[in-house]
Amino acid sequence: MPAAREVPVQLTVNGAPRAATVPARTLLVHFLRDHLGLTGTHVGCDTTQCGACTVALDGVAVKSCTVLAAQADGHEVTTIEGLASQADGSLHPVQQAFQDEHGLQCGYCTPGMVMAIRQLIEDHPDPTEEQVRHALDGNICRCTGYQNIVAAALRAASATALRAPASPTAAALRAAASPTAAEREG
Amino acid sequence: MFPADFAYARARTLDEALDLLDEAHAEDKEAKLIAGGQSLLPMMKLRLAAPEVLIDIAGLPDLGGGGWMGSVAGGHLSATLGALSTYRQLSRNSLLNGGLIRGRDENVAPHRGEGIPAVTDVLAVLADPQVRARGTIGGTVAHGDPASDLPAVLLALDAELTIASRKGRHPETHLGPYPRRAGKEPSTIGKREITLDDFLQGIYTTDLAEDEIITHIRITTQGARASAYEKFPHPASHLPLAGVAVVLTYKSGRLTDENGRVTDLADGSIAQAAIAVTGISPRPYRARAAEALLNGAFPTPETLAAAAAQVTMASTGSSDRVSLLGDQHASADYRAHLAEVLTRRALAKAIARGGRNS
Repeated sequence: MPAAREVPVQLTVNGAPRAATVPARTLLVHFLRDHLGLTGTHVGCDTTQCGACTVALDGVAVKSCTVLAAQADGHEVTTIEGLASQADGSLHPVQQAFQDEHGLQCGYCTPGMVMAIRQLIEDHPDPTEEQVRHALDGNICRCTGYQNIVAAALRAASATALRAPASPTAAALRAAASPTAAEREG
Repeated sequence: MFPADFAYARARTLDEALDLLDEAHAEDKEAKLIAGGQSLLPMMKLRLAAPEVLIDIAGLPDLGGGGWMGSVAGGHLSATLGALSTYRQLSRNSLLNGGLIRGRDENVAPHRGEGIPAVTDVLAVLADPQVRARGTIGGTVAHGDPASDLPAVLLALDAELTIASRKGRHPETHLGPYPRRAGKEPSTIGKREITLDDFLQGIYTTDLAEDEIITHIRITTQGARASAYEKFPHPASHLPLAGVAVVLTYKSGRLTDENGRVTDLADGSIAQAAIAVTGISPRPYRARAAEALLNGAFPTPETLAAAAAQVTMASTGSSDRVSLLGDQHASADYRAHLAEVLTRRALAKAIARGGRNS
């Protein structure tokens, strides 16, 4: 494909196909907010530091202020709007934990925090407090002092564990890995 | 905040990417390759970079994102990593993190890799999880940032780069067609190999020509158990004010003389030390003067401290320091001090990790 200043993008956002032709320099966060009206994803620092713009790209948390909409062409994006159950509107366990632990004050960083913690729990279903704090390296909150955010992450992890075992991939990997480990150690 | 206007093209193959680079140059336009974009896009948003053409290589199958292949080079086990591998993919790579390795066929029993702790260290403290999900190993090397973490570890692991370009364009280093494809017509892509040490030149300056693409990075994976990466991060940017990678290999093996007498060479002394420093100089560098003090030596506290004290020296026996950088965050002297302290810590950590009998 020849280089062009306007590029067509087709992506799946929160399960729905979306298409538009945008200037090549359009950032994913602006595409989500300005073209699709999904303003739950926030622009904070705009310099890849604060994490307020965190979304899941193909299921992995990334900073949407540092991804071009063109780079997301053909991929799947989940924003904060796509987390709650589409069937009954019930909150995602991480959202629910933020409400239960009051993991916010002004709320500006919250969508990014929720998206980052969703990723943490997927990677580490039973995180320690230290792991939670380390995983939030890329998300800045200027009000809470992080205490209730960390509490919310830990509560969400235990709620997720109660609901269902970890994601099938992680569970399958562990099941596949354990007999071999046992053989080797035994 | 958004980048200056540019034209965007997505390459589907290495051939197409090289064509797009050629087209841009034929029109006298500045072109940049983009993979993860975690260094380039922030620079473009700040208008520190304003390429006219952006060529997206993130989908190139030949650059093996996340893939790796074990091989033997120079008598040592090594791993070849695709340039498009993200930090996140690398941190989940069993060969590097000591996880379970499965062979491609059932003749290879699943086994736990030795792992390279220095790689695990650096991937845990580099940028943040979201950035690590997109940033690539090829991108960080090509960027040439004096304050980048991973190149220090790669330098200590004697990394070598494979670089593709149009065949014959760089004849002095041309190594033949690439990629190899059986039964296909001869490729017009050539490749060359260069050590990372020769590749890095200065601040945002590397040996990469405008018509070249880094495709793979090979690192030593044998005997890298005694390794560590220590950094002093800037609290906001997470960039290293100073960072030090250490890889130690111990003497090993046995010698049998003509009378059948066996000498165990694994006496606990260091066969070879690799120390690489980043964040304090125009480019990450190998601290050869410090390494020289450790090669063949027993790792006593005095020897380790003496070696660390040499970490900013330009060469053995010299009283000249490497070129040092300072800025509003930390002076050159302070960074040099950090490098010495971090070298001591990284050496202690590497030694505590064992690996004497590998």
